[in-house]
Amino acid sequence: MEIGYFFLAVAVVLVLGLATSWIDRKVTALVQARVGPPWYQPVADIAKLLGKEMLVPENSRAMGFTVAPVIGFGAACVAAAILFGTLITGRGFVGDIIVLIYLLTIPSIALIIGACASGSPVSVLGASREIKMLLAYELPLLIVVVAAVMRAGGDFRITILAQQAVSVSGIVGGVVALICIQAKLGLVPFDCPEAEQELMGGVLAEYSGPALALFKITKAMLLAILPVFLCVLFLGGFHLAGWSILWSVLKYVGVLVLVVLIRNTNPRLRIDQITRLFWGPVALLAAAALVLAAFSL
Amino acid sequence: MKPSLWGLKKSPWVYHVALSPCNNCDIEILDVLTPRFDVERFGIKLVGSPRHADALLVTGSINRHVLPRFIELYKQTAKPCVVFAIGSCALSSTMFRDSYNIVGPLDEVLKKIDPNAIVAYVPGCPPKPEAIIAGVVKALKAL
Amino acid sequence: MLDQLQKQFGAKLLHVWQPNGRRAYVKLSDEDLAAVARYLVDRGARLAIITGIDTRNGIELLYHFFVTGEHLMLTLKTLVRKPKPQTVSLAPWLPAANWGEREITDLLGVTFTDHPDPRRLLLADSWPEGVYPLRRDFKGLPQ
Repeated sequence: MEIGYFFLAVAVVLVLGLATSWIDRKVTALVQARVGPPWYQPVADIAKLLGKEMLVPENSRAMGFTVAPVIGFGAACVAAAILFGTLITGRGFVGDIIVLIYLLTIPSIALIIGACASGSPVSVLGASREIKMLLAYELPLLIVVVAAVMRAGGDFRITILAQQAVSVSGIVGGVVALICIQAKLGLVPFDCPEAEQELMGGVLAEYSGPALALFKITKAMLLAILPVFLCVLFLGGFHLAGWSILWSVLKYVGVLVLVVLIRNTNPRLRIDQITRLFWGPVALLAAAALVLAAFSL
Repeated sequence: MKPSLWGLKKSPWVYHVALSPCNNCDIEILDVLTPRFDVERFGIKLVGSPRHADALLVTGSINRHVLPRFIELYKQTAKPCVVFAIGSCALSSTMFRDSYNIVGPLDEVLKKIDPNAIVAYVPGCPPKPEAIIAGVVKALKAL
Repeated sequence: MLDQLQKQFGAKLLHVWQPNGRRAYVKLSDEDLAAVARYLVDRGARLAIITGIDTRNGIELLYHFFVTGEHLMLTLKTLVRKPKPQTVSLAPWLPAANWGEREITDLLGVTFTDHPDPRRLLLADSWPEGVYPLRRDFKGLPQ
């Protein structure tokens, strides 16, 4: 029975993820005054990638190279199951928010492992940038999650956190989390690990075929999971009853469109600018959210 | 039609290979990738690594310096892939045909490495962006 | 500048020809080249480029100097005889001549003695030694 819920959640998030990646490309196209790709484009991309041969470079560690995308995909699936399963069925366990945060860092770590196992200097450069970015954005994200938990009275369950109303610390935390989500997804202005013009694809430079398809699917699933995560923690949660469904969907789409608009209007930041940004102003904002939550604001 | 073939026709990712051309064809290729011509409608996206590419846009004639590097690049492209010879230099080396440094036109060199290579030709010096788009679309239809 | 040259070097200038106000050609023997070039550079002329051509009497080297004050392009012509063409290099004291001489060594086979950096410049690494593509008797590499 539980395994049925797992596969259902994974399937829902997969479809939702591909749809959101199409929304991303379509909104980008509209911002650039052009028509974008048709609605089946992400499906065509994945179908094509699954049909190509997979090249494993000669001086790579083949085990790490081929296993890394599977690890990332697996972690995204379990995170999807925890988040969506908890929201739909209302059953969770104490501390599932912590498990969720751990699981959401694993796709980045899978990218790092895969890139370091690639055996090419370009990938190693991308991997070192990804490591630094991971250290940079996890700090403010964890601070604001702690702020949300404190606001909910110290309860580490997603179901309880999802029942919260919107609050000032929630708004501040939401802004910080939006910036951190942009970095977690690897979107401009924080996409220097996978810099196409600069690093020839960076972390993903040596990947082709089905492994690349898995990485793209993982990124699409994260694009579906993370706005829901943000809505649950900071913007008043997801209530799936009556008119609240419309309000929840609007919140979700609003966060998604914000992510896409930030992506289209900003240049790429260098890695030292990124670390300075996240350990400077954004961390201070997160600390402010923590202080506000301590005063139950 | 197999799903992967349908995917290849609907989503050709492009990698730009400039084998020491005079760069006019490169400028036209960059023009094709601007929002004015909007090739993302066809699913065409510029990628940074040949391993992600389905179509290689090759400009310039093959000379001795570039020959081993082009062979490496072609081997690194995940098959199935289409090689587009853009511009007269890639098609036939035009006036540089008898020069001391030129090895040969693109398709002869490629057929020696891989007899099953798929090559499509876009003539012009340089070809207009509309011609490049027409060539890519025709080649994809014929796949 | 031409008058100054004729006063300084006199008989060493084997042939002087000025077709119009902006262009002048001076034919020298290759032993006098370094001294005349030094004289020109000390008075503010700049070396623009070094070219060469394989004629029936030998390889003719042309050093094109631009005399800045007078808008005059002055070309010094020397002839080096085959079978082992060589001449003194200007590169130790004139950095502008460095690459020009390396190019001529690659393509025409003239050796410049005392060149500080006599590496191959233009030809591919796979090009055989001793084959000079711009010579009259070059008919193409055996494939």
